[in-house]
Amino acid sequence: MLHLSPTDYDAIRLSLQVAFAATLLSLPFGFATAYLITFVTFRGKMLVEVLVNLPLTLPPVVVGYFLLLLLGKHGLLGSLLNDAGIRLIFTLKAAVIASAVVGFPLLVRSLRIGMEGIDPQLINASRTLGAPWYDALGTVILPLSLPGFIAGSSLMFARSLGEFGATIIVAGNIPGVTQTIPLAIYEYASSPSSETMALSLCLVAVVISMVVLFLHELMAKKMARRG
Amino acid sequence: MRCLLSICLLVLVWTTFVYADDVNLSVAASLKEAINELSDKFTKTHPGVKFLKNYGASGALAKQVENGAPSDIFISANVEWVDYLKSRKLVDIASIGTLTYNALVFAGTSDKASSMRDLIKLEKIAIGSPKSVPAGEYATEAFKRAGLDKQLAKKLVMAKDVRECLMYAEKGEVDGAFVYKTDALQAKQAKILFVVPQELYPRVTYPMVLTSTGVKNRDAVAFFAYLHSAEATSVLARYGFATR
Repeated sequence: MLHLSPTDYDAIRLSLQVAFAATLLSLPFGFATAYLITFVTFRGKMLVEVLVNLPLTLPPVVVGYFLLLLLGKHGLLGSLLNDAGIRLIFTLKAAVIASAVVGFPLLVRSLRIGMEGIDPQLINASRTLGAPWYDALGTVILPLSLPGFIAGSSLMFARSLGEFGATIIVAGNIPGVTQTIPLAIYEYASSPSSETMALSLCLVAVVISMVVLFLHELMAKKMARRG
Repeated sequence: MRCLLSICLLVLVWTTFVYADDVNLSVAASLKEAINELSDKFTKTHPGVKFLKNYGASGALAKQVENGAPSDIFISANVEWVDYLKSRKLVDIASIGTLTYNALVFAGTSDKASSMRDLIKLEKIAIGSPKSVPAGEYATEAFKRAGLDKQLAKKLVMAKDVRECLMYAEKGEVDGAFVYKTDALQAKQAKILFVVPQELYPRVTYPMVLTSTGVKNRDAVAFFAYLHSAEATSVLARYGFATR
């Protein structure tokens, strides 16, 4: 019924690894960015908002190409990293970076919505009681952003599972090393007589996505009940 | 309202016209420049013939033809994909011929490898995906016969056709790539590091065939005959393809 080869199991494992790593990596940066955009006024804020949302509207291959220019052997950052002996292109690290970049706007967006929903009276109350900004951040804003965290992380996780364009450019299609589920299905789709294998892997992808979305809905309901 | 509906219908019908003198070519990626030149030469002597060229991995092209993509002439980089279409009765068996031959080489920008044995010292090697790219199939066969396939397993970066392979080699992000001799001759920065010993893989053969629709297309049949001519052979030889 389900025909999965050893490389398919590798693809599933790699997809989950990349999605987890990309989400965890982006959480602190996403939280900081969302906080800045929601609560701090500064010049050029609109530009920051546009830049943060840019990976959402750009075609993923364009994002991948820019990452390649930046991190490749002859790239701006890449040449420095190369001298230090760090290779990113065609490794799993590049796949994590690609997923983190394309998923970042989704995370920030959800966190912003969560933060904007916090009753400003609570923050004001903490300030009048003498809490400095970092205390208010840690003890009032952070816990109340939890629904935003959950929504953002699950969206970002789901996006990372489906990330193809940027990944194939910077991480390449290396079975067992960087070949995630979308890359494996693409390889099957280009070759004749692999129909059952492609369908089996597609089915797995659908099941994983549904599980993530179910958990997302479940946690959202729990949060709503508490609030 | 009715005016809008009739305009919509007109647009839909308009876009489905298929011009009778179009010749649809599905050709292996490594033949791109040679076939471009040959089709240009043919158009000079046969004005009005329009070529629609589709270059890619032979396996991917075979799948497209199977799924109904318009194709009059199919030129593959190995016999497997022509046999694939033959078994599905999509080609005119009587027209099957051989266009030309090629050789597999290892090309790159750095001098890290000079023989098959040296490959295990490298970190990343680009090959065409063996599931659909003949160059990748030949390379994988060479690894097996040289006994290196297990050691090279995690080093292989899969490309969607042999030209993407060459691009990886040119950019320098891989230590080298398995491409055809003719592709390496086109390279600007990458050079041939070593030629793969012929005993390790079957000879690279380019079978060509008229599809079931192509055999009914006069211009396609004429171009197909032109590909057998001495002029075509000399153009191919200029690009580095072997003639026998």
